[in-house]
Amino acid sequence: MTELQVVGKSLPRLEGPDKVTGRTVYAADIHLPGMLHAKILRSPYAHAKIANIDTSRAKALPGVRAVTTAADLPAGDRDQAIRSHVVLAEGEVFFHGQPVAAVAADRVDIAEAALDLITVEYEPLPAVLDVETAIDPSSPLTRLPLGDVERVEEGGHVTVEVENFDDVGPKRSANVTNRLHFMRGDIKAGFRDADFVVEGRFDAGMVHQAYLEPQVCVADYDPTGRLTVWAPTQGQFFQRSEIARILGLPVSKVRYVSTEVGGGFGAKVAPLVQPLVGVLSMKTKRPVKLVLTRREDLTVAVPAPSAVVWCKFGATKDGRLTTIEARVIFDAGAFPSGPVVGAAMMLPASYTFQNLDIEGLEVITNKVSCGAYRAPGVPEVIFAIEQLVDQICRESGFDQIAFRRDNAVREGDLMPNGRPWPRIGLVECLDALERSELWQTRGSSNGANPRGVGVAIGGWLGGMQPASSLVRLNDNGTFSVIVGSNDISGSNTSFAMIAAEVLGVPLSMVEALTADTDSAPWAGMAAGSKTTYSGGKSVQGAAEDAKRQIVAIAARELDTNPEDIVLEGGVAKVLGTDKAIPFSRIASLSTGFGGRYGPVLGRGGNDVIRNQAPGFTAQAVEVEVDSATGQITVTRVAAAQDVGKAINWMSVMGQLEGGVVQGLGMGLTEEMLYDDQGRLRNPTFLDYRLLTSLDVPNIEGILVEVPSPEGPFGARIVGEPSIIAGSAALANAVHEATGIRMHRVPLTPDRIVEALAARTALSTVVLSHG
Amino acid sequence: MLKEHIEAVPVTVRLVVNGDLVEVTTLPNRTLLEIVREDLALTGSKEGCGTGDCGACTMIVDDKPVTSCLVLAPSADGKTVRTVEGVAKDGQLHPVQQAIVECGGTQCGFCTPGFVMSAVYLLENNNNPTEHEIRVGISGNLCRCTGYMKIVDAVALAAKRMRGD
Repeated sequence: MTELQVVGKSLPRLEGPDKVTGRTVYAADIHLPGMLHAKILRSPYAHAKIANIDTSRAKALPGVRAVTTAADLPAGDRDQAIRSHVVLAEGEVFFHGQPVAAVAADRVDIAEAALDLITVEYEPLPAVLDVETAIDPSSPLTRLPLGDVERVEEGGHVTVEVENFDDVGPKRSANVTNRLHFMRGDIKAGFRDADFVVEGRFDAGMVHQAYLEPQVCVADYDPTGRLTVWAPTQGQFFQRSEIARILGLPVSKVRYVSTEVGGGFGAKVAPLVQPLVGVLSMKTKRPVKLVLTRREDLTVAVPAPSAVVWCKFGATKDGRLTTIEARVIFDAGAFPSGPVVGAAMMLPASYTFQNLDIEGLEVITNKVSCGAYRAPGVPEVIFAIEQLVDQICRESGFDQIAFRRDNAVREGDLMPNGRPWPRIGLVECLDALERSELWQTRGSSNGANPRGVGVAIGGWLGGMQPASSLVRLNDNGTFSVIVGSNDISGSNTSFAMIAAEVLGVPLSMVEALTADTDSAPWAGMAAGSKTTYSGGKSVQGAAEDAKRQIVAIAARELDTNPEDIVLEGGVAKVLGTDKAIPFSRIASLSTGFGGRYGPVLGRGGNDVIRNQAPGFTAQAVEVEVDSATGQITVTRVAAAQDVGKAINWMSVMGQLEGGVVQGLGMGLTEEMLYDDQGRLRNPTFLDYRLLTSLDVPNIEGILVEVPSPEGPFGARIVGEPSIIAGSAALANAVHEATGIRMHRVPLTPDRIVEALAARTALSTVVLSHG
Repeated sequence: MLKEHIEAVPVTVRLVVNGDLVEVTTLPNRTLLEIVREDLALTGSKEGCGTGDCGACTMIVDDKPVTSCLVLAPSADGKTVRTVEGVAKDGQLHPVQQAIVECGGTQCGFCTPGFVMSAVYLLENNNNPTEHEIRVGISGNLCRCTGYMKIVDAVALAAKRMRGD
């Protein structure tokens, strides 16, 4: 097998120079002639009927061009159970901050002033704010029952085939909008025969993806009835279809031009403000721009849901995990949108349990509805299960890594849904973690405060979606890779690398670009970690198709058989001779006047990925805990992740490091806090605390490569697994350092101090009885 | 309050931006960030939060890094302002910019201009920072994509090159 020339190297992203000079255009940077500015009037109540809206005074304010409420929406196909379809509240609001009216005006400050002139009469209703209350059959309803819910976005993140057992389970409120239940074996017998049984309840707070670029949209409805939308998105074709449907426009009348995504992590997949901005443009016949403030974005975008996980499992004294029973409940907010399927699957998925009984529930409450955040729902369930595994190891004396490795799933073992695992690299990740510098030197250094090391593992299945792509030979002999997928992770640079590898040219001869929905070949969402996996495969196919066309032309021109042609450095040569023809000549023969051949255009996408290539991670975190203040300092981190084949080493490592820090953020500081009226108490970056450069150490990142059977060059899903294990590893490290077991995440200083005090009180009680 | 706002009197602000003397007439309640982005069409500096917490709007004003989203336009009168657009010279990237590109210190890029300004300021005042000093120097800039490692590496590399090591 010839050595790879481009794929597998560590190369800077092609867009780097534009980013460091500020030249990259984001949607908020766009100015169009005649553009208006929009602002949204939002509900001050978590749950209320809207009795009346009076917009007359707002409309009369000079500079105001449109004021819209639900009554002004165009006739469209809108499903009231889908958050993005409820463009403006119709008769009832279900969460604090829900859009009720919108204004488009000449200036932002005029639009803001107009909001104060809109009068809304609300009749407050009981707000359901707590998941456990909401489940009870006697609970008030968050909203009227929704019936069958169309889950348009879910499949883009994870593809899971589950046979859902039809047993209805205990009687629960209509606030429970989804239930998943799967079983195998006999858990009663399993627990009876186990030597160690551990159980616990764990709570994970609601967290926000907190991308640096607030959600934004510019829309322009032109005189021919076409709506052009400029906005960051992780799925331009998905959004185009949804917007067309929501606004009652034919898809051919909607053109989506994706702008650079300033961070998405799952939150910019579905339309959020785009339909509303489209409506304002349709009303005013002018371009309209809406930029959410950070306060608005933190309050009313699509954060990750909070979760309650109860888990119990049994192991034998020779170190076999045999039995697990678990329930995970997600608080989806006001619209059914929880990540129940993926999370319930991945909760037990790392280990070969013979007996399992897993139930997942999605509950709706009067809070903002949630969306996807990098491996949705999985960090929350891993926080629970990996602490229980840690507990079993400590109680029975098993080594943390060896125990996990002995029970880890391997190719052919059964997934929780009964299907066999394809080739995976969980064991290899554990091996790599065992060899890491952190693990090899653990316990060797101590600061003034107690230190501890914790381990955690987890995986993600990923999604699959067909993608097509084009590789075009340009008239100067260079290539353009044209895709419809959105680049949130450096995928376009990886696509260029893949094409360069196949065509035998240096990277400098290839560009890769995402075209708009008018001109791009179709692609799925940049979600479910599948952009390079599925899209890269398509690009590989397109490059191979272009290669065949080039070879055919070269063979004719050089009077030989196609089998004798090799492509090297931008030239097609006859093997073993000096006869050669450069790509630029082939280009002019196929594009110039009187050209004898059709233009070289490779098309990919026929070779559709049919199977997932799950990615696992194994991580270790070392912490120091200040018992007086409860402050946790993360001193070292090691993270191994199986990526199959790193197409671009630098990019893939960047994804690992970024995901690890997000996982640590979930573990240490991030939580959305609500008051008893369902209002967010910390809608700023001061109080919704992201980790800074001073909070995280260098990360010992280890890329493991267990090739996937189908991915381009063996690549597998990359973007998501790295976030999964951080909060669990942190909690396990805190336990080793202090002896306290944290059941609630994030592990904020006040919770640490409280837990330390409770443990001291307990041992004081024991002492006094002794 | 509304009436007063609509009748507010515009002010003229004169300042030097990236070496050029400019004049902007604006309502007084706008910020330096807004007038630079909108009136001067220099959109490199970003609004990430509007409350001085994220650093995406960092500019160097009279030789100090500031969060321009919190600077009212009238108080920028008479000041010298440097934005990301003024960092590269004669078509050549500044060593900080070059290093960020080479080390993979930019992913989505939204925070990047702010980091460039903070790093430029740091290295102009400390040409041999330790890793900790680098981390302190950029601690006012939030990044959600990179986890900071490659940015820290980039600043260290830039420092090395600027020293001529």
